[in-house]
Amino acid sequence: MGDMDAVFKALADSTRRSLLDELFERDGQTLSELEQRLPMSRFGVMKHLRVLEEAGLVTTKRRGREKLHFLNPVPIRLVHDRWVSKYAKPWAQALSELKTQLEEDSDDERAEQR
Amino acid sequence: MNAQSSGKRPWTAGPTEKVFEIYIKTTPERLWEAITDEELRRRYNFGIGAVTDWKPGSPYTLSGPDGGDMAAGENLEVDPPLRLVQSFTALWSDEVKSEGTSRVTWEIEPVGDSCRLTVTHDQLGEDAHGELYGGWPMILSGLKTLLETGEDLTTPGSLRYL
Repeated sequence: MGDMDAVFKALADSTRRSLLDELFERDGQTLSELEQRLPMSRFGVMKHLRVLEEAGLVTTKRRGREKLHFLNPVPIRLVHDRWVSKYAKPWAQALSELKTQLEEDSDDERAEQR
Repeated sequence: MNAQSSGKRPWTAGPTEKVFEIYIKTTPERLWEAITDEELRRRYNFGIGAVTDWKPGSPYTLSGPDGGDMAAGENLEVDPPLRLVQSFTALWSDEVKSEGTSRVTWEIEPVGDSCRLTVTHDQLGEDAHGELYGGWPMILSGLKTLLETGEDLTTPGSLRYL
């Protein structure tokens, strides 16, 4: 599936991951803002943003003269759902059930204490 | 010295805006139906669906099959099958209730044999509670699976809360 190749490729670079981290911390930044925060030329930031946009990991909106960049976590979730469902489900399911069980137990305890 | 090492943030503090985008192989009409039909919505939205008459200005709730409102608001713009804007107040805990009212915009754009769906959750407070918008990737992933395969997504996280 081509979409997923683009996501894996985009994520396989520490600079691009740090760009995503920047947007995670503060969404909707302009190119100039991102450029200030990374030790890289404007051209370098643009190049990496383009790869992230093509993978759907960054989406943009125009606001007046400015182009704002947003982290789009949806493709990561799609990768997760695709792979979790195949390989990790029994594990994750067990952990999820354990969590529910523990939370119910602690709810019961709290109720008893009242 | 760059902004990071000086500890300064070059951005101005302000309201939080989150944008979620997904491509789904379907028609705008089917996508609109999956968003606005109460029962279809429950299949991918943590078991809650929108209960409303879909008129602009009308109230809506996001509710489980036996009631139990998890969120509520008003239909601000209803333009089938391309655009839906609703105000949004989360009700599932005192913590999220105290965050007040934000806004959710659904935009559908046909692209080839698919649709690009963009969900913008904005007018959130500064440092908004992650629970308010953190569920969107799971919801949209489940919506895609439902429309493209007819099946419910069953991975952890897509499990129902109700």
